[in-house]
Amino acid sequence: MNETRASDFAPLGSFEEQVMLAVFRTGADAYGMKVRQELERVTNRAVTIGSVYITLDRLEAKGLVASSRTVRAESSSRRVFSVTAVGVRALAETRAMRDRLWDGVHLPADDLSIDSA
Amino acid sequence: MESQSNGERSVLRTPLPKMAASLFRALLPLAERREVLEDLAAEHADRAKTHGRLAARFWLWRQLVGSLPSLVRRTWWRGWTGFEPSASRMESGGPGIETWIMDARYSTRRLAARPTYTLLVVLTLALGAAGIAAIFSVARPLLLDPLPVVREDEIGVLWMPGDWSEREFLHLRPDFPGFQRMAAIRPLDATLEIPGEPLRLVRGIGTSAELFDVLGTRPLLGRTFQPGDDLPGAEPVAVISHGLWHELGGSASIVGRRLHLGGTARTIVGVMPRGFWFPTPAVRVWTPVALNPENGAGIYALFGRIDPTVRLDRMQGQLGAIAARLRERFQYLAQWDKTKSPSITPLREHFVGDIRPGIVAMLGAMAVILLIACVNVAALMLGQVGGRSTELAVRTALGAGRRRLMQQLVVESLLLGGLAGLVGAFLATGGFKVLVRSLPLGAMADAARLDWTVLWAAMLVSLLASAAIAVIPAVRIWRGNLHGTMATTRTAGISSRGGRLEGGLVVAQIALAVLLAAGAALLLRSVSNLRAIDPGLRMEGVVILDATMPTELGNDELRRLVLDFLPSLQALSNVRAAAATLKLPLRGAGHAWGIGIEGKPDLPRSTTYFRIVTHDYFRALGMEIVRGRGFLPTDRAGTERVVVINEALAAKYFGGEDPIGRVVQTGFDERGERVIGVVKNVAEANLTDGPVAARYMLYEQVPLMWHEVSFVLWAANPEATPALMQVARSTLQREGRRLALQGTVTMESVVDEAVGAPGRLVTLLSLVAGLALVLGAVGVYGIISHFVARRTRDYGIRIALGLAPGRLVSEVLGQGLVLLALGSAVGIGSALVLTRTLSSLLYGVRPADPQSLAGAAAALLVVGLLAALIPALRAGRTDPVSVLRQE
Repeated sequence: MNETRASDFAPLGSFEEQVMLAVFRTGADAYGMKVRQELERVTNRAVTIGSVYITLDRLEAKGLVASSRTVRAESSSRRVFSVTAVGVRALAETRAMRDRLWDGVHLPADDLSIDSA
Repeated sequence: MESQSNGERSVLRTPLPKMAASLFRALLPLAERREVLEDLAAEHADRAKTHGRLAARFWLWRQLVGSLPSLVRRTWWRGWTGFEPSASRMESGGPGIETWIMDARYSTRRLAARPTYTLLVVLTLALGAAGIAAIFSVARPLLLDPLPVVREDEIGVLWMPGDWSEREFLHLRPDFPGFQRMAAIRPLDATLEIPGEPLRLVRGIGTSAELFDVLGTRPLLGRTFQPGDDLPGAEPVAVISHGLWHELGGSASIVGRRLHLGGTARTIVGVMPRGFWFPTPAVRVWTPVALNPENGAGIYALFGRIDPTVRLDRMQGQLGAIAARLRERFQYLAQWDKTKSPSITPLREHFVGDIRPGIVAMLGAMAVILLIACVNVAALMLGQVGGRSTELAVRTALGAGRRRLMQQLVVESLLLGGLAGLVGAFLATGGFKVLVRSLPLGAMADAARLDWTVLWAAMLVSLLASAAIAVIPAVRIWRGNLHGTMATTRTAGISSRGGRLEGGLVVAQIALAVLLAAGAALLLRSVSNLRAIDPGLRMEGVVILDATMPTELGNDELRRLVLDFLPSLQALSNVRAAAATLKLPLRGAGHAWGIGIEGKPDLPRSTTYFRIVTHDYFRALGMEIVRGRGFLPTDRAGTERVVVINEALAAKYFGGEDPIGRVVQTGFDERGERVIGVVKNVAEANLTDGPVAARYMLYEQVPLMWHEVSFVLWAANPEATPALMQVARSTLQREGRRLALQGTVTMESVVDEAVGAPGRLVTLLSLVAGLALVLGAVGVYGIISHFVARRTRDYGIRIALGLAPGRLVSEVLGQGLVLLALGSAVGIGSALVLTRTLSSLLYGVRPADPQSLAGAAAALLVVGLLAALIPALRAGRTDPVSVLRQE
């Protein structure tokens, strides 16, 4: 993998970001279906397995996530994803950029508390 | 297949529905297939437990349909970038659809690298599909769509020689044997007067009260007619069409409103639903007519709904009973005996009987064109397979199965088919317009509307055709000995396939092209002959304004409306002369009146065309007075009745005598009319009539009037004719009191109209002939290319041995010439037989016109030789070094 600084990355797309965060949240057991379920649970929207896989493939091609295969006793082996160091930096950079954008912005309905589940 | 023995428990408990599972299997790469299927099955089972089986199914299909685009895209993308996740290295292998996607990508590249081939195939297929899609779009609404009535097979048109009168209908009305209901209808156009708006002409039908009971269609608003609506003295009512209702504001409160229709205030009692039409799509208002038991004028058609117990084609007994009832009451002259051959025509037959043969013939012609296109594309594809034999053999050697090779072929043809479908739909839209204009659809033309039928028909035909065509090269691969091909490429052998079938097909299509081109040439010559006829009228800068007036008006009122409005037209700035006439030349026969001549009592009873005109008529139309004088302002209502006759009348009735000052009799009164002048002959009724007798009288001096009128305007500046049409139109709508505009045309288009069927057909036939010509050329190109491609090695060796490339070119051209000559001979032979069917449309040219036949053959020869020249030159350019290096 090329040594690339996080700031060279184009900011992550919002679905890409969501998928990466879901990989994080799922922890060691982050296989495709699990990531999809996590996304659905948190965002409360229907997510298809196809869209998760194509995004994970793209992210892996960019070096933001990596996949390996686990062998499990009770079922077939799974392709399990983890966020790479480059991915972590891209996430942080995307978040920082968004924070900068949000800085000083006060929405009229700011008192609406949005739950970050 | 996935082994389920070591799968998860849930998989065993509730396996995924088969279809969804196999679709997912086709979409997922091998490495992820098992885990995803297991996970889906687990979640499906969970959901089935918590939400019910139906909800779980729904969820699964949503996942599948939602994933489809992403998964196809992913496969495409993986193939494009070569990405393979490290986790799948031990289990590489794409999803089931991967090979299809690979083939699609490969085919796209292949086609992009061969633009000539691609263009040729796509255009050929598109032309073939466009023709049939266009004619199908015309045929569907006319021949296939249900008519806007209830149970159309129960409705028939009762016919006996001569039309029906109110007297006959009323006599039979109490009991029509075999019928539940019978309605009498006649055309009854009405002027529509709305205060503050120009008078409009609305196509309408006058009917007995039963009409809508016979048709069975319910109104959208209000009611239809009730028994008694057609009695004399009943309150005048009307039912209007959805379109007219929409134009009048589309409000439900229209029911009960009064409209001035045809000079009578009529209450609108109902609005018909959208899509309803009867008996033609142009009709927009239906009014009951007061039926009079004394009226014997035969102007009605009878439409009836039969008893459910009888069948339309088995009604001889009932028809006989109807005839018998007529005989009881009426006396018929032998030659007008209505009761002799009664018949009943099914409704659809009545509507489309006349136009069906034309449409069906056109469908047949287009099917043949499509077939030719398919044959050509097949030949082009076979050429490709021939050229690719080495590649295919190498792929076989590397392990590709025949199925795989065929799959690529199929994908490639479907790609071509899809492209052709899009292009074809575009072409078909244009073709549709030409067809509607050229086919004799009459009043039914409005029923044929351009819709999405064209697109899906073109698409479907192209895809089906391309799939069917792909079978031919596929079979070649299936049967072919591809290992042997490797061997032949090495040993420079030419497989000596005869190609006789392909040759025969090309000859057949050349023959067809020659036949069609000959037909088109004959029509073209007829049309140019017709155009060469001088109708004796001024063409340039003449504008015609057609109008009608309410039918209820009396003679004096009708006359006054025309004469009062004329000065408004004369006052327009660009008008040199303005006149009115009862009937314009070139608009067919009609208004032929009996003539008597003073001093010639023994003259046989005969008629001449009779035209009512205004003072400036001859000047406006450029009709030259050859003797005597034209109408003068002093010829007025109170003065002596005068008449202008044409040369043909003078010659027919006066021979060598001087007609000026003589008196002719029309029968207005005993004094008759004095002849004051002789005018040159014009084509008073039809373009091809030759000189026919006609006489002209002034509006002011004729006691009888009709509610139709044509205004003739001669523009001072012919360049500004379009502007004058606009101005005249708005003047009539603004100032023409109780005059309803029917249309504005130029004199040129009146002549176009008079040229008639040959003029309309010539465009269509020329287009079809052009299509056949192009396809014939493609056919010649395809077969000669194929021929050349197979012999490249042979040519290389011969050139290396010293043969001049020019000799090769002429040899290949000779091959093409043989095909062309054979095809032309067959084509001319069949043209000699078949062009006779055109003879009723021909004017001044024989069906076996040598010039037309030779022209058609020559056109094909030139185009065909050009098509053969391309591969011939390619053969001449064969580079012996590169050919021999492959040895």
